[in-house]
Amino acid sequence: MSWLNENCLWLIPAAPLAACLWIVVAGQFFRRDKAHRVVVLGLLASWLCALNLLLVVVPSTFEDHGEHAAAATEVPHGGRLETKPGSVSYFIYDWFHVRGAGSQPASMSDRQFKADSGGLSVPVELRADALSALMLVMVTSVSLLVAIFASGYMHGDPGYPRFFGALSLFVFSMCMLVLASNFLLLFVFWEAVGLCSYLLIGFWFHKPSAAAAAKKAFVVNRIGDFGLILGIFLIWTTFGTLEFDRVLANPWLIQQTVAAQPEIFTTICLLLFIGAVGKSAQFPLHVWLPDAMEGPTPVSALIHAATMVTAGVYLVARCSPLFVHSPFALQVVAGIGAATALIAAITALTQYDLKRVLAYSTVSQLGYMFMSLGAAGANPQELMQPAVTFALFHMFTHAFFKAVLFLSAGSVMHAMGDVIDMRRFSGLRKALPITWVTFLAGALALAGVPLLSGFWSKDEILAVLHRAAQSEPHGVYYTVILCIALLTALMTAFYTFRAYFLTFHGPEVFPPEAGHHPHDAPPVMAGPLYILGLAALFIGLATGPTHLYGHYLHHTPGLPAPVVAHHADGHAAEGDHAAGEHGHDWFMMLTSSILAVGGIAAAYLVYGKHPGAQGVKEPTPLAKLSLNGLYLDDIYLALVVKPLRSLAELSEIIDRLVIDKIVDGVALVPAFLASILRPIQNGLVQHYAFVMLLGLAASLVWMLQALAGTP
Amino acid sequence: MTGQLECQLVVGAILFVLGAIGFLTRRNLILMMLSAEMMLHGVAVNLTAFGRYHGNSSGQVFTIFVLTIAACEAGLSLALILGLYQRRKSLDVQLWGNLGEPDLPILSAPEESRVEPQHPADLPQLTPAGAMPKTPTQPFSQKV
Repeated sequence: MSWLNENCLWLIPAAPLAACLWIVVAGQFFRRDKAHRVVVLGLLASWLCALNLLLVVVPSTFEDHGEHAAAATEVPHGGRLETKPGSVSYFIYDWFHVRGAGSQPASMSDRQFKADSGGLSVPVELRADALSALMLVMVTSVSLLVAIFASGYMHGDPGYPRFFGALSLFVFSMCMLVLASNFLLLFVFWEAVGLCSYLLIGFWFHKPSAAAAAKKAFVVNRIGDFGLILGIFLIWTTFGTLEFDRVLANPWLIQQTVAAQPEIFTTICLLLFIGAVGKSAQFPLHVWLPDAMEGPTPVSALIHAATMVTAGVYLVARCSPLFVHSPFALQVVAGIGAATALIAAITALTQYDLKRVLAYSTVSQLGYMFMSLGAAGANPQELMQPAVTFALFHMFTHAFFKAVLFLSAGSVMHAMGDVIDMRRFSGLRKALPITWVTFLAGALALAGVPLLSGFWSKDEILAVLHRAAQSEPHGVYYTVILCIALLTALMTAFYTFRAYFLTFHGPEVFPPEAGHHPHDAPPVMAGPLYILGLAALFIGLATGPTHLYGHYLHHTPGLPAPVVAHHADGHAAEGDHAAGEHGHDWFMMLTSSILAVGGIAAAYLVYGKHPGAQGVKEPTPLAKLSLNGLYLDDIYLALVVKPLRSLAELSEIIDRLVIDKIVDGVALVPAFLASILRPIQNGLVQHYAFVMLLGLAASLVWMLQALAGTP
Repeated sequence: MTGQLECQLVVGAILFVLGAIGFLTRRNLILMMLSAEMMLHGVAVNLTAFGRYHGNSSGQVFTIFVLTIAACEAGLSLALILGLYQRRKSLDVQLWGNLGEPDLPILSAPEESRVEPQHPADLPQLTPAGAMPKTPTQPFSQKV
């Protein structure tokens, strides 16, 4: 058991990595249709280790937070688990050291202090605290269930092993991202999850639309990564180090920087947020997520609902000790979150592709999470902790109900012969009862029906926004954001149940691709659906109002605690609930319940008794605006893509006509020189004889000169 | 005495240079060989002149060597010329310019400057072997 405690930290990413390597080496070649077994085994191991981490290892560090501010003795041996207050670390190896300009000679024992002399040392080290443990459990459990589902869904696909290889690579990258102990390692795996997303979106790469969507996702992500890497550079120049322990969990260093250059925090936080905008599909970089639905449905469920897109939320939450010192950055976060939520909700209202509805819904819910994170901008000292807690709680519940929604949509696609256009089928609740029930569970949770998961998390976010709206000096701004959040909640309920009614109610219509009898999910697909459906219904109730989630999260070292007089140490106080944590905001609860039920009722009135498989009606201009995503894609095409493409074509012309000609010209020079020298050899014997004679004469002259020179 | 040596060296030089020019400008293989022989004779004259200058017969002894070599070399070159003639049935050295490239101009006298015989009957003609030459119709001294 203690072996497990010691090693669970590196086992979590290592198991999926081993599964991926196995598939790459052997699984491509023999027993191709059993490639899922090793991946499911790996993910199961990973999940169990994550549970162990959550329940045993990390809580064991909670006892010893106290007055010793400095870290425990850190003698880095390769492979030993080190415990600090609130976190555990596992050192794997030193990646690189760069010595600073004015530093002492290197010695291995003070790698922590090399940072002070302007150098950079980056170890590959895993670090887990409460926040990491919660995220890991979420990631591994959803991954495990999606992998089991995918073994049924992707059955018979020619690229079956490649799918599972990429899937396990993705889970490895995501776990490493969460477990990274410094910003550079986080960035490496940030890019790696983007790569795996590219591989998985473009899984059916023969389809041009899928290949284009994968490219779009990667390029748009890259734009965000540019901001992220600039933020990381700035962190290094400001703090001298990239380690989380020294930058984020070290109040002394932060206070020093606040005293010296307070405005640097805004810049750093905005740059880091740009990275989050790219990865978590916020406006204006949200355009890749709906197109990412070209990938297989399990990919959408895993990557674009539960794990990869939450990396941005994780980043902002992890850097909350930095965001606390920049109210402006927090307001920007809230504003962008609100804009995204609204735009995505408007767009989802008229989509006829079920997966796209869910994709826009994901974008909208991510906007909610950022709204919550940004709500702390009203009063950072007090509101940061509840804001971060509830954003992460919403991320947690969202993972489960969005995953079940996507997997049910996948089951619908599976039954309907890969048709996902809601205008071509309807009335599926009798034919696909399992799918119907699980989709309904997820839809109710998403809409925020009282007592289900989505309700608890969304309501807490609205409560935080309400508190922010009531505080000065930015009360008006946050009131606007709160109104946007409420409007979006209404629209969420409406479009979710529009999709539900269009798909499952009305007369039974099947498209021709479905075959003569659509079959419901086989057991291997139904199992994960049931488990996730139950989670969607009850996990919010189990961990939210009981404060299980919140209390656990507050043990994260460095998470800013509300400034309430009597706590001198920088660690989060476990006994002190901030003012808004107990005492639920009944007004907001009532309002959100009314909005949820109202939205569902409105959807029922409009779509409940629809004539079924509503053919192609010409949409009104307003509906067209919504359908085309407020024409943002077209705006980007005109403003960004076309100019860049013409620039690329211009460059190609210059390259072909100018640069290539110059190179050809350079190649002509030897030929030209040769043509001058070539006529010397013209094959005439007398010519050669003449040259010999000349040579003879020259040597004679030279010899006579030499003889004349000697006395 | 030195004036005499210089004059003899000049004679040798003239022979050598004439032979060189002839070798470089002739098109006929046999005439090229003749010119090469003339170069060797120029060298022989030089050697003899220096022999007389130094007052011993070393120069003349060396000349005997040179002449021997010349004879061997003449035999060799005639054998080569015969072989070449068998190939192309012509004694033109320009036929053997394979090392050159076909498109390059040949750096010798252009074709046009060669004097073409106006009338074949004006050129002296040798009678074929074994036949009686024609008796001249007019005495030699009165030929125009």
